[in-house]
Amino acid sequence: MLKDNLTNALASLNLEKVAEGDYAKTGYHLEVAAQPAQMPDVAQAMLAAGCFLESFTAVDLRETFDLVYHFASFDELCRTAVHVPLGKKKGMPTISHIYPGADWYEREVFDLFGIHFFNHPNLKRLLLPEDADFHPLLKDFGASQGND
Amino acid sequence: MIELLGIEEKTYTLNLGPQHPSTHGVLRVVLEMNGEFITKAEPVIGYGHRGHEHMAENRNYTQFLPNMGRVDYLHALAYNQCYCMAVEKLLDIKVPERAEVIRVMTNELNRITSHLLWFGAYLMDLGAFTPFLYCFDDREQILDLLDRITGSRLTYCYYRFGGVPTDIDDDFVAGCRAFVSRLRSRWADYDNLVTKNVIFINRTRGVGIITREQCVKYGITGPNLRGSGIPYDIRKSEPYSAYPWFDFEIPIGSNGDIFDRYVVRLAEMEQSLRIIEQACNKLPDGPIMAEKVPKRIKPPVGEVYQAVETARGEFGMYIVSQGDVKPYRIKLRTPSFANMSFFPEMAVDNLVADLVANLGSIDVVIPEIDR
Repeated sequence: MLKDNLTNALASLNLEKVAEGDYAKTGYHLEVAAQPAQMPDVAQAMLAAGCFLESFTAVDLRETFDLVYHFASFDELCRTAVHVPLGKKKGMPTISHIYPGADWYEREVFDLFGIHFFNHPNLKRLLLPEDADFHPLLKDFGASQGND
Repeated sequence: MIELLGIEEKTYTLNLGPQHPSTHGVLRVVLEMNGEFITKAEPVIGYGHRGHEHMAENRNYTQFLPNMGRVDYLHALAYNQCYCMAVEKLLDIKVPERAEVIRVMTNELNRITSHLLWFGAYLMDLGAFTPFLYCFDDREQILDLLDRITGSRLTYCYYRFGGVPTDIDDDFVAGCRAFVSRLRSRWADYDNLVTKNVIFINRTRGVGIITREQCVKYGITGPNLRGSGIPYDIRKSEPYSAYPWFDFEIPIGSNGDIFDRYVVRLAEMEQSLRIIEQACNKLPDGPIMAEKVPKRIKPPVGEVYQAVETARGEFGMYIVSQGDVKPYRIKLRTPSFANMSFFPEMAVDNLVADLVANLGSIDVVIPEIDR
């Protein structure tokens, strides 16, 4: 079972939380909470288990950011959600050297939230123009801002 | 790479797009070339960025529904369904059986239109004009069918939280049956025109190979993944809606080249026809809307991740609710985004002549990448 393998692999990383998810309600089989510095190790463990990075995004909780990584597997139904709390004006280690697919996801989060990723090979805006000076998915960005 | 008679080796930059007929939307690729070979490819995206995720935070759940048909305009109903399913999960609504079957039927019709359009447009990229006319003729039949019940021909917004708003009638079912036999009678033409065409085979066999390892690292999904021999299809791997009630197969390729992806898409259309046929035969009676759907959608605090299989791969929706009438955060995980992020690796060290063949073969819809 992939879920048990993942639980065992993640147990050695000393994470804040590795718990079974409520699949019927949230769509997760495994819920994990990690600190920013632990994320590359978590990604490495996920890759070793054959999981792919399904999605990565951030949520602006006003005081902090919540970064959410979703991992799934081609072989077995097992979705893992990894929540990483991140303080405002703090940076995040990249996982794009582990999952090259994370390159664009991280650029998107940098673009829309202004979160910096350490050691990212090409951290520049992805969707918005290069000269944009705002991050539209921050909660203090209004509905009609950025139109000029 | 090539050094002749002391001529200095120089690379040059070539700009593909953003207005280019083979980029299927507004995509720009900055290419670094060494002669005919590509040494670096960098996609520049965002020309179609409309800020759907930002819009979601500024309107209530129902108001955001029509946006979903505009993320990927070629398979709008799958996106529509994913959003409805995610909100239904948050609200704990159970959709009646008849509505589920109608959703699957219309969804599969929509999947065929998407694959048919890819088929025609891709062959046009490769220089074959005739197949385009054939498949648009077939595609038109589906558009007419869907137009009758959904009221639109492209950017559908047919599903509602809890079911579907209008029921299908006998004419629609008869139309579906007629279409199934019509498209089946066309497979021989398609095969003779394209699949057995030696020019097509030579251009696509062994070109643009995607390996399993690359799929894992980039999160490639859909026919691109299945062409590489991995039978991952959300409809089977994480069954949803009425799909478990139907008998269908997941076609896979073996080499992971363009030809395999082509064969997978063609075979998938036949499987969609099988689903539609079975749905016509055992369409359950009953209501098309769940009984207790609140007028004011206000889900409790929580989060949900819902995935569906679209024509291009896995579409996922991550919704965070803070108990408000507006979603706190919606993330759209679109398949073409992940598939396209792999493109630079696919293009490098290949001939520029294969670039368009490679790009078209991963079937990208640019507005879906940009959102």
